[in-house]
Amino acid sequence: MTRLPRPARWLVALSPVPPDTRSEVESDLLELFAVRRRDGGRLRAHVRLYHDVASLWLQRRPSSPAAARRSPFASMRDVPGDLKYAARLFRRQPAILCLTIAGLSLGLGIATAAFSIMNAALRGEGLADPDRAPVVLRTTDRSVSTAWKYDEFVHLREGSTRMQVEAVLTESAPVHATPGEGDAPSTAVAFVSGGFFAAAGGRTTLGRPLEAADERQAGPPPVVVSFVFWASRLDRDPAAIGRTIHVGRTDATIVGVAERGFSVPGNRLLWMPATAYGAVYGSGAGRHTPDAGIQVFGRLLPGVALAEAEAQLSGVAASLSNGATAGDSPLRAKLDPRAGLGRMSRSDALGIAVFVFAVIGLVLLLACANVATVLISTAITREREMGVRAALGASRGRIFRQLVTESLALGAVAAAVGLLVARWALPTIGTMIEAPAGADLSPDLAVYLFLAIVTLVTGVGAGLAPARHGRDADLVAPLKGEGASQNRVAPRRLRSMLAITQAAVSVLLIVLATLFVRATFRAAAIDVGFDAAGLYAVSTALAASDDSVAALRSFQARAMSELQGMPGITAVALTELTPFGGATKSAITRDVPARVVHFNGTDAGYFETMGLRTLAGRTYSRAEVEAGAPVAVVSESLARAYWHDRSPVGQVLPREIPASPVQPVVIGVVADAITARLHERNALAFYQPIDHSSGVPAQLLMRVSPGASGVVEQANQRLRAIDPQADLRIASIASLLRQEAGRPRMLAALTGIVGTVAVVLCVIGLYGLTASVVGQRAREMAVRAAMGAAPRDLTRLVMWDSLRPVVIGLAAGVAAALLASRVVVATMFFGVSPQDPVAFAGAAAILLVAATLAVLVPTRRAAAADAALVLKQS
Amino acid sequence: MKGERLGEFEEFTLLAAGALGDNTYAVPIQQYVEKVTARPISIGSIYAALARLEDKGFLRSTMSESVSQRGGKSRRVYTVTPSGLRTARDLHRVRERIWNAIAEGGRS
Repeated sequence: MTRLPRPARWLVALSPVPPDTRSEVESDLLELFAVRRRDGGRLRAHVRLYHDVASLWLQRRPSSPAAARRSPFASMRDVPGDLKYAARLFRRQPAILCLTIAGLSLGLGIATAAFSIMNAALRGEGLADPDRAPVVLRTTDRSVSTAWKYDEFVHLREGSTRMQVEAVLTESAPVHATPGEGDAPSTAVAFVSGGFFAAAGGRTTLGRPLEAADERQAGPPPVVVSFVFWASRLDRDPAAIGRTIHVGRTDATIVGVAERGFSVPGNRLLWMPATAYGAVYGSGAGRHTPDAGIQVFGRLLPGVALAEAEAQLSGVAASLSNGATAGDSPLRAKLDPRAGLGRMSRSDALGIAVFVFAVIGLVLLLACANVATVLISTAITREREMGVRAALGASRGRIFRQLVTESLALGAVAAAVGLLVARWALPTIGTMIEAPAGADLSPDLAVYLFLAIVTLVTGVGAGLAPARHGRDADLVAPLKGEGASQNRVAPRRLRSMLAITQAAVSVLLIVLATLFVRATFRAAAIDVGFDAAGLYAVSTALAASDDSVAALRSFQARAMSELQGMPGITAVALTELTPFGGATKSAITRDVPARVVHFNGTDAGYFETMGLRTLAGRTYSRAEVEAGAPVAVVSESLARAYWHDRSPVGQVLPREIPASPVQPVVIGVVADAITARLHERNALAFYQPIDHSSGVPAQLLMRVSPGASGVVEQANQRLRAIDPQADLRIASIASLLRQEAGRPRMLAALTGIVGTVAVVLCVIGLYGLTASVVGQRAREMAVRAAMGAAPRDLTRLVMWDSLRPVVIGLAAGVAAALLASRVVVATMFFGVSPQDPVAFAGAAAILLVAATLAVLVPTRRAAAADAALVLKQS
Repeated sequence: MKGERLGEFEEFTLLAAGALGDNTYAVPIQQYVEKVTARPISIGSIYAALARLEDKGFLRSTMSESVSQRGGKSRRVYTVTPSGLRTARDLHRVRERIWNAIAEGGRS
């Protein structure tokens, strides 16, 4: 061996050993290492070697001239002194301190808030190893669905040998956390099979997860509450286990509190066994499990490939005697790990993540530039102090360290304030983006870590600019006299660069914010083809726990006649799907390119209730619905897509559109309506008479005449009177539509807030910069004034000098915004052109006005100064 | 003046340097001290002690000629100065006196 082990060499290099003796120390260590390896073996030699290396730190040599050069860590000892000095300095300049801290903490706070939200979104729901936990899709030749019947699930579970098959059904129910609570908010409940927690990888903070035995338990059903529920509704009660809460129509005993971050599927707040379904929704004896609409997923057993499990499960599914609903082809199971349990698709999340990170980066760049601007302007006035320090023997490195320490100290204070800003902003932003109730937005370790790293980077970054300036500055000239530094203005290029950066980032952010704001309005203004106001969906599906389809039908028939007779209700219809109700049925056409066609089963009154005009032919009659006639009504867009200018009436629905059980005959064309996935704006649709035997629970849709008040409440009471046991929920379609249209609102809110902050930061920075430049040029301006320049000329001179970089930055920002708006997924804009002239012109105007104001104030003050006085003073 | 006195470890180091003869260096000193005290001694503490002894004038160091077994590098070699030798002897004498007193029954 001729050299020390590499780690030891590195450690020696970092140690306080003076560089000129380092090679000697290494030789000594190597010699000892060799001797010890010979005498005591490799391990012992290594242990002693690192002991020796450590001793180089612990056993300091007394200071000798050669030892004055220290290791990088040794400089940490200067920190307390530097901090003390920074504190004294900032006390002398409180205005600059406040300005800087305000700017930086605003930037850090917003960045932290944005990161928290994205962190919450990206954290997902806590499904362990999602690639091994695929969703089981129910497929036939014609359809793909996520919904299974409970019996089918039980069959799958019993037959599966390659994966653990579990079920989950998501519903909401009013939950009273305490007995005395008044109007309990509806809370998302997941009804799960016994092995759900085991398969999803959910753990508990308190108590235990649900287990297989819970499915068969008598008495009050067990419930596992989420961490958010425990924190917000149970006040983190450490004795929550065993407490009773009221869920729907039953008491439930809390058996566990889920681990923080576990909210599968889709931000659930409560988990209960599927067998508790009947109790929650208030049925008597008979079926206790939900009927249909069960999502099935599974955990692949170790070593089992996806295809293998799929083939095995398909075999099980095929043996289900289910010809009636599956048409002519047997049922198959398809495993899809990407569909996940309602989790956001990865590409969506990634797109938003990239976007949010870009925004955060821009804001921090801005805050950094801003702080650097302020520090530079102080650095200029501190040239004399730096000169003194240099003259007293401070190395440039030492001065550099001091400047970085100062900006880091600033950063630390700003980070603390920023955290407060973030804590304050988070609930506000959470409301703005309509975060789901189960979402956990409070900052976690990752957020604090993010803030710390960002503060460090920003602090060092902001300190670097003036430090660089300090390095290049002539440290001796300022000592010779005031005059020398008076003529020296900060390096013009650096100053301009900072102003350009600030302006460019501001413009970019404002443009994006404006685009998103416009997209929000545009989304709200998308013509869905029907009037959502006054339209209500009455969900009665859950009252069907009395098992028989006939009971549900008779209830719905009575409900319809009851509602039709009510004043204020203009129309009532029965439909499989309600607009924006969450569920969709769609077929993918077999032509190229494939289209997505929505279809829906309705009764005869649906078109009147929705307010869809009949454009050609007619809609189906009540008799046709009763008979289940093979007829269909198509939307205008569908008619145009397949029949172009010809009339589709009397034609058979094209073979390309899969329909079951036979291709129906088109009897009419109705106006387009968008009833799901607003951003797709897909109005291709056909309607068929509702098939009551399909087992799909129908829902009521009612239209309330405009101006009628209290109708919904009355309807609710009347329906309850029919069956007090029934669980009814009446949802306003207009509010569902608003929710759907709120998608771009999150981005609008985020960029809007950030854009505002950007402008404020830009104004602060420009103001500070101009004020310092004007201060330094006071003498020049006084001379100009003495030679006859009018105050207006002086103002124009300085203003143009200060605004020029802003204008350049404006151009750069507009160019960047043009690029960025192309990259951002077009669907987020809901049809607003990424090159929207209003957004660009608006952003430019906002920035120019703000910048002009920021520059005008100090400039005017300087121009108005008494020239004689200024000259006398200098 | 403290600078004239010797700590225990410094004394060991100084004596080891004396025992090993002129132009010895840190590694043999470390091994010698480790052997006679029968406790693990780190090289860092030897460096520190050597530097302090040199500051106090008890040791003198020079750079040696390049040494072949160290890859042609030179090393710092130490020699005990007369004042170092004298101080060590003084210390030894003081100790002897005390030990003698102990042997005679606690009286000096």
